[in-house]
Amino acid sequence: MANSGQVYVLDPRVLPDIPDSMLAERPESLDGSTVGLLANGKRNSEELLEQVYEVLSESFKLKRAVPDNKGNASRPCPPNLLAELSEVCDVVITASGD
Amino acid sequence: MNSDELRFDSENQAVEAFIERGWTDGLPIIPPSLERVNSFLEYSGRDSEEPLGREPVKGRTVTVGKVAINSVMAGCLPQYFPVVLSAIEAALEPEFNLHGITASTMGAGILAVVNGPIAESVGINGSTSVFGPGHRANATIGRAIRLCIINATGSKSGEIDKATLGHAGKYTWCITENIEASPWSTLGEDRGFNKKSNVVTVFSGLSPTQVSNHSTQEPESILRSFKDALFAAGPSQGEIVITLCPEHTKHLSQAGWGKMQIRDYMYQMAVRTDDEWGSGSIPPGGTLKGLKLTHSAEAPDSYTIIVAGGFAGAFSSVIPLWGGGSNSQSVTKPILETTA
Repeated sequence: MANSGQVYVLDPRVLPDIPDSMLAERPESLDGSTVGLLANGKRNSEELLEQVYEVLSESFKLKRAVPDNKGNASRPCPPNLLAELSEVCDVVITASGD
Repeated sequence: MNSDELRFDSENQAVEAFIERGWTDGLPIIPPSLERVNSFLEYSGRDSEEPLGREPVKGRTVTVGKVAINSVMAGCLPQYFPVVLSAIEAALEPEFNLHGITASTMGAGILAVVNGPIAESVGINGSTSVFGPGHRANATIGRAIRLCIINATGSKSGEIDKATLGHAGKYTWCITENIEASPWSTLGEDRGFNKKSNVVTVFSGLSPTQVSNHSTQEPESILRSFKDALFAAGPSQGEIVITLCPEHTKHLSQAGWGKMQIRDYMYQMAVRTDDEWGSGSIPPGGTLKGLKLTHSAEAPDSYTIIVAGGFAGAFSSVIPLWGGGSNSQSVTKPILETTA
């Protein structure tokens, strides 16, 4: 095609049908909250979450922690584990340690 | 065609704009005009809005039309397009874990191995310089797959794609086997297809390690040369690709060895204590310690053997797969007949 005049080409992209990122709604306070700590299987991820819980405990009267580990950082969290956590937790914190 | 048409003053301007917007691999592309894209769709006989699969993490459903656009950009000919379609369809299967392999610091590419008569009819190279340049089908089919990863599933370098190193196979990586040199079943046959079936298999390949041994024709000696390369991949690999060159293949087959015997020997040979693994590599998930023996692969079947490369030279290779070869499983798909 000549390099003059108008050229029409097609957009090669597929746009997402979900937002790029979704942040969970932030509660005003964590007082009285059951806090899920979902590690991803990487080394130190459980330790990191334990320390996050300790830091939060200094600011809020947390009810309890529910630690769990999805076991494989390379794979999505099993749906049943997410369902169990959302059943018993008010908030869930996850982490990527290495 | 459900894609926005973009207007430019010239093809050069379109090419520069695509590069600037991050819609290429850094190299110039063929501008995807409606006419060019339609010629691909007509060749395939498939509807542009037909979905090939969905990448769930980034929420993108990839259609035949979008793959056609990216295949034009890559420099494909229409007759290559069915191969690209099946490769993308394979890569979108959940067990391939496309998001993981295209986002991870581990830096995998997608190795596409084509089997069946289509490999010869469209000119896919499986012989001399099999992983190198000079063959349009190899170069552009592999590139089309990469451009689809960038544009259709949104994995741009430095954004979603966080590879620490990556490797040259991330630009393009499509081959066939050297069936003239192979006395054994093809990869397609190993996956349950007929030798005359056109199929493509996708692997989440890390950078290959070349294995050299010109000094022996004895099977055990040849295979022991792979030991260090296998150890470098880490322990207990779920799947790992062995590219045997024709010269090594000839020595092995003339001694009466088949793929099963090679896999069994490799499994038994590539083993060491956890103390040796722990001091020689960083295994995923923690440090191995002790005198227990751990193999380089989970099982003999974990070694996928392909025969490829030129007839001269005793250079084979080990291609580890992403995530220990178990978090991304290779997928084989038939290449659909065209109506053209």
